[in-house]
Amino acid sequence: MMPLSATRRALLAFAAFALVAPGAAHAADRFVYANNSNYDTLDPHTVFDTARVATRLNFYDGLYRWADNPPRLIPWLAKSHTVSEDGLVWTFKLRDDVKFHDGTPMTAEDVVYSMERMLALGLGASVLFKPMMEPGTTKAVDTHTVSFRLKEPSAIFGSLVPDIYVVNSKLLKKQEKDGDWAQPWMTRNVAGTGSFKLKRYDPAVGFIGERFKEHFAGWGPKSLDEIEFRTVLETNTRVLGMIKGDYHGTDGYLAPDQIERLRQSPNVKILEEESMRVFHFAIHNDRPPMNDVHFRKALAYAFDYDGYIRDIMKGSVVRNPTIIPNNMWGAPKDLKGYTFDLEKAKAELAKVKGPIRPLTIGTLAGFSETEQAASLFQSTLRQIGIEVKIESAPWPTVSSRMRNREQQYDMVPYWKSTYYADPNNWLGELYGSRYIGGGNVSYYKNPEADKRIEAALVSTDQEERKRLNEEAARIVFDEAAGVWIYNTKWFGPYSTKVEGIRFSPIGNGQDMRWAYFK
Amino acid sequence: MRRLELVLTRLAWLVPTLIGLAALVFAISHVIPTDPAAIVAGENATAEQIAVVRKKLGLDQPLLIQLLSYFRDLATGDMGTSIYTQRPISEELASRLPATLELTIAAVLLATIMGIPLGVLSALRRNSLLDHSMRVLTVSGLAIPSFWLAMELQYLFAMTFGVAPLNGRIDGFGPETITGMMTIDSLLTGDWESLGSVLRHLALPSLTLALPAAATIARFTRAGVLEVINSNYVLYERAMGLPASLITWKYVLRNALISTVTQIGLIFGVLLSGAVVVEAVFDWPGLGAFAVISIIQSDHKAVMGFTIWAGAIFVLVNLIVDVIHTLIDPRSVR
Repeated sequence: MMPLSATRRALLAFAAFALVAPGAAHAADRFVYANNSNYDTLDPHTVFDTARVATRLNFYDGLYRWADNPPRLIPWLAKSHTVSEDGLVWTFKLRDDVKFHDGTPMTAEDVVYSMERMLALGLGASVLFKPMMEPGTTKAVDTHTVSFRLKEPSAIFGSLVPDIYVVNSKLLKKQEKDGDWAQPWMTRNVAGTGSFKLKRYDPAVGFIGERFKEHFAGWGPKSLDEIEFRTVLETNTRVLGMIKGDYHGTDGYLAPDQIERLRQSPNVKILEEESMRVFHFAIHNDRPPMNDVHFRKALAYAFDYDGYIRDIMKGSVVRNPTIIPNNMWGAPKDLKGYTFDLEKAKAELAKVKGPIRPLTIGTLAGFSETEQAASLFQSTLRQIGIEVKIESAPWPTVSSRMRNREQQYDMVPYWKSTYYADPNNWLGELYGSRYIGGGNVSYYKNPEADKRIEAALVSTDQEERKRLNEEAARIVFDEAAGVWIYNTKWFGPYSTKVEGIRFSPIGNGQDMRWAYFK
Repeated sequence: MRRLELVLTRLAWLVPTLIGLAALVFAISHVIPTDPAAIVAGENATAEQIAVVRKKLGLDQPLLIQLLSYFRDLATGDMGTSIYTQRPISEELASRLPATLELTIAAVLLATIMGIPLGVLSALRRNSLLDHSMRVLTVSGLAIPSFWLAMELQYLFAMTFGVAPLNGRIDGFGPETITGMMTIDSLLTGDWESLGSVLRHLALPSLTLALPAAATIARFTRAGVLEVINSNYVLYERAMGLPASLITWKYVLRNALISTVTQIGLIFGVLLSGAVVVEAVFDWPGLGAFAVISIIQSDHKAVMGFTIWAGAIFVLVNLIVDVIHTLIDPRSVR
């Protein structure tokens, strides 16, 4: 009987210890964020997604920084800039009081190294710079002046400089092996000037950053000492963790029913901001019958916009009639958008020349809004004689299929996020033919729209750029190249103990240097 | 000699089994129309940029060449590099193994502690209310989906009673890594606060895994005890006046546990190769969670590495179970 008694004692001890012992609290002023994506790398030059933006914003600094909503550029590592008359050379004056986390002063050489590294690796934000820059064209004019020579004038280059995250070139050169730009080392280490220094990192768990006291921007009396970003893949667990008080923040694009659950909790407050994230159906414009404008118009008239926004999104978002967010300049303000009108849809369908076949909609597994939009569309399209098959898959699968002309679904409902605040982020990248196979997953090509999109990319006259974008947006709208539904509202769930969250559509409320506990 | 023959034969089969497994997973991975290069290159990458990444990753080669190249590297112990973390996959698996091992050991211990006494009591009181209740419980334990059970336990113990953490392995990041098993590391470093945190975090995921496992153990134990309890030697022991508890817990149980031990071994193997759903729900940073993320991200080499690992564990655990079986019951080797 002795072994059993010992076992019983051990079990009781385990249960008592496990269930009754008080929880070891997080550091008193450590901000804990539950993220819906895993932090498999810390390298700021190899990833460019919004889900992992926290590593870039908190460990690194760019030349300028996006802040607030509507987003505005504020000087950051650079104090100011000038552009040459031909629009090809952008010269930035850098601050002279910036240090890396190891105490090394930041100089123009670090900016040069960072840009060259980004272009050489060919990942992350380099996809935006590569079309406009050649390696070897970034120069250190002096210790605190750096210049970028572009292949052609670019109106959006200024919007992209926040993505030139500056790394410590001296430190990285010591870690390089066989010209690898220290890529393996950088997956697990930080070599930045950012507001927080890396304290702990585990790709399977997340990271902890501690305040970088010598940061050039200074600190407030209540600024956070530590931040912890944890990977919590299950939405339900993130929501329960917020309600329980385990987390101080989580992603602001949860489904409306989850936001409602969070609103009931005394531990949680919901910060609301109109974002710049347009929910739409990408339509494969280069495949029959969607290559017929009448068929696309029939689709545009067959979606129940008001029903979707009212019943599924619980009225939490606003209609966005084109691909450019309503709150972005360049969006044609007078356009009301297509309305749900099955009679008009039938009339357009009657004008379609080729045969009409069943369609396939690809949805994003785990993102209920996409699945519900597809189901709603399926039911209304059936009323005008179009059958729809819905295929659900994880985002990486859908995303890679979208960028293959043959494998792309007939339609995909998804959001276009903000990478930089310029109409090109939406209109140009999704409907400009230069982006086909990249962001243009509609395989849409219209020379008239292209002419305006290209002109807007090089013009330095803001009024002209506004007009060109509006005109291009109207062309794309008239051709019903997509089905544009709503502009997302950001409902940022944060602990009631937290203040100072500054939301910007680019940072999604994860730039923690301004946050503090009450 | 027969036992050695059994071991050698099984080990000889291990290599072709794993090669076949890897080839099968490779084929399945490539049937899914996903382009890892497009995922790595990013949402905004152009077709040309994706093509550059594809070449860099070696994904532009014909599939057969890719597979042969993979096997060639595997023969030297190189499972390849994760296209996302840029770390060797063997390192990724090794770094996550302690978390899974810790969870598995806790779950199997709990399941054994619950399952064997339940099975014995059920057999001793055959067809009683207790036996019927146990039957309902064990069938429920096997039938309830683990994700549902996990969420119910979260609601009950974490949210309603507030006595257990919702998820994770520890508050914060845990003690200094020595073995990677946090219970042991916190004991070794005398970090009692961490030990308490680890045990509390271990409670719900291990219970979720233990309940269905306990149901299996209870059913096999019950069947084993029923088979033995009417044997002549038990009758003899009773006639000799030995205490009933001694007969049950020592003499009956020893002979009744043969099939139970086999089941415990198999359960250990299954859990060690990754409790995918439970690790995902509880954010347990083990092999199962790694497998889920690798599959979602189409990190083919990581998926194959995990599969080979899981396959090897399963074959080896089966072998160990068979060897133990022959030790408990030497007749089985003949």
